[in-house]
Amino acid sequence: MTTRVLTGTPDAPPAPTRRPPVRRGTRRRALSDALTGYTFLLPNLVLLGVFLFLPLVWAVQLSFQETGGFGGGEFVGLANYTRLFGDAVFWQSTLNTALFTVVTVPLSMIIGLALAVLMNSVLPARGLFRTIIVLPMVISGVATALVGVLIFDQNIGIINKLLRVVGLSAAPWQSDGAAAILSVVLVTLWIRSGFNMLIYLAGLQGVSPELYESARLDGAGPWNQFRYITLPMVGPSTFFLLIMNVIYSFQVFDIVYVMTGGGPGYSTSVLVTYAYQNGFVTRDQGYAAAIGIVLLLITLTFTAVQWRASRTRDLVE
Amino acid sequence: MDHSRRTFLGAAGAFAATGLLAGCAGFSKPASSAGADELSFTTWGSEAEEAGFRAGIAAFEKANPGATVTLNLVPYEQMFENIDAQLQSGTAPDIFRVDYGNLGVYSSQDQLLDLSSYFDASSSDAFIPAFWRAVQFDGTPFGVPHQTDTSAVLYNRAAFEAAGITSVPDTLESAWTWQEFEQVAQQLRDQLPPDRYPFAYNWQQAGVTRWLSWLFQAGGRYLEDDLKTPAIDSPEGRAALDFTKGFFEKNFVPANSSVKSSTYASDSFYSETAAMLFAGNFLLPDVDSLAEFEWGATYMPRDARGASDLGGNALVATASTEKADLAAEFLAFMVSEDQMRNFCAATTELPTLQSLVGTDIEFATRPDVMPIFVEQATTIQESDVAQLASPDMAAINTVLSDQLELAFTQGQSTEETLANISEGIAAATA
Repeated sequence: MTTRVLTGTPDAPPAPTRRPPVRRGTRRRALSDALTGYTFLLPNLVLLGVFLFLPLVWAVQLSFQETGGFGGGEFVGLANYTRLFGDAVFWQSTLNTALFTVVTVPLSMIIGLALAVLMNSVLPARGLFRTIIVLPMVISGVATALVGVLIFDQNIGIINKLLRVVGLSAAPWQSDGAAAILSVVLVTLWIRSGFNMLIYLAGLQGVSPELYESARLDGAGPWNQFRYITLPMVGPSTFFLLIMNVIYSFQVFDIVYVMTGGGPGYSTSVLVTYAYQNGFVTRDQGYAAAIGIVLLLITLTFTAVQWRASRTRDLVE
Repeated sequence: MDHSRRTFLGAAGAFAATGLLAGCAGFSKPASSAGADELSFTTWGSEAEEAGFRAGIAAFEKANPGATVTLNLVPYEQMFENIDAQLQSGTAPDIFRVDYGNLGVYSSQDQLLDLSSYFDASSSDAFIPAFWRAVQFDGTPFGVPHQTDTSAVLYNRAAFEAAGITSVPDTLESAWTWQEFEQVAQQLRDQLPPDRYPFAYNWQQAGVTRWLSWLFQAGGRYLEDDLKTPAIDSPEGRAALDFTKGFFEKNFVPANSSVKSSTYASDSFYSETAAMLFAGNFLLPDVDSLAEFEWGATYMPRDARGASDLGGNALVATASTEKADLAAEFLAFMVSEDQMRNFCAATTELPTLQSLVGTDIEFATRPDVMPIFVEQATTIQESDVAQLASPDMAAINTVLSDQLELAFTQGQSTEETLANISEGIAAATA
């Protein structure tokens, strides 16, 4: 004989539950916690508001105006944006920016990861090597670009001098479009690989050595260990770097401005140097603001796409 | 006393906020000086120019007890971005230095102090007419011409000797014609190795207007008398552009010395990559210290006429200054005969006062070559100045820079280049 101990059937509707009484002290504590949180956020929110969102609103407003340097502009609706469509230099700058991004983002990440793997291994004097690799990142972009000018100067640069010494002809770094873009890409890789290496190194140091040990026991060689353990395990770092590098590449300015000034011709003109040229040299701020807003929209679109892709990646991990 | 973590964080937050607010106060601090007898003066300048300005300010303060002038020295590359932002935000200095090309941009948009009540006809007569013309907009003076400079040709003596060039023109009248200049360049080209060049021209970056010297030498102009209608698409314009495109086609100049290049012409001269340099006289102190070889100077080539660039700068007061009288007094002081002589002597720059023309200024550097620049400056005509001081020069410079770059480095034809420049000038002056 069994004794039925259940007081209700499974199909019966659940008995209405009484909300536990909220004590005034708990609510006050929650409010106090929220207030503390916002207080900590406040300095950042103020900085973001004053230096990011407010100028952004002004830039949008300015992009609908025709400006002549000083004083208020004249509202012209979408005229600056329609002008962009017929502006061949704008399209070339957009194409150059896209090309620069497509080349620099994967290359700098591959080099960064390769260096990180190397620096994560048993390497003599790796602290020294890490410092040397990260050095271009910690000095000003303009200073690094000036070093780039010294290296790639067509007449007296180090690279062309070396080429001449070994009997080769000098490369036209400053007078040929393709060579000029290559020089900018090389300096960018030099600057950015250090940062990518740092982030990947932090990611690698969180990977458990047991994973590699068990893979080795299962007979996995170095390439398979890298392909099936290292690469997936640094996925979050890759996602972060992808966003950062794409944004950086789309907003590139200092290196191009110092090394080539957008030339020869418009070969290395990118969106930000073109916006700068219009805003500060020609003093056509309305048109420059329109270019800036287009750049913002492109960057936002890329970030949104990457964000969606990242959710799948998180599930895998 | 017991210090909890919360107290510590609170104190740290308060400290950070104070710093932040102090920083913001720094951002918003107007460049304009606060005291009734204080003037703020923003300029760029070489070491010699800085010393010249400081000496002038000290003399002004001595002559006007109680008055003080704060000198704010900024890099040339940032000068006009800063001034534009300060004018827009109402924090501009009382006085600033500006080149004759940029002056029109500010004066035509009511950003400068009208000086007509401070400088009467007699004081305006004191200046060389071309320069007094350069500081006016619609007949109203908005600044004082402080100094001028112009370009001439410097040459490496050893390179010339090696190429068998034994003499250079020693008078303005005997300056090389374009054909003679081309022969000299070819003679150098034939003798020099492939990685060295006959000359480098100083039209890079903001110097793009120096290309106009060739146009003026050909007898051409880029604006009609109304300073609105483009006039560059002419036989003279074609001659000037064809001749200068030839510099690149014939390997007379380094391939990386076009108008957008980040390498300045002077660097090619110092490194002996170029045997000749077209250089402004303001550059002589640098050439003297950086060129480790013997060099001399001669005149710019000439074609239908002689011509050179209108360099130099004016001093202006901002329309928003609250100390207009003191500012005007300072401007007048800085262009007084003694001050101008001292400044020009120390900086190897040229005076704009009639009374100093033909006088012996004791230039601090290479006084032997300075007379060449003094004489070369006489080739600048009033009609050149009128065009160069156009209020639309900022936009015209951009068009010139873009199109000359395409002609010099991308093979754009002379016809298309001139048509595009014309179109750009028409849009800029519309």
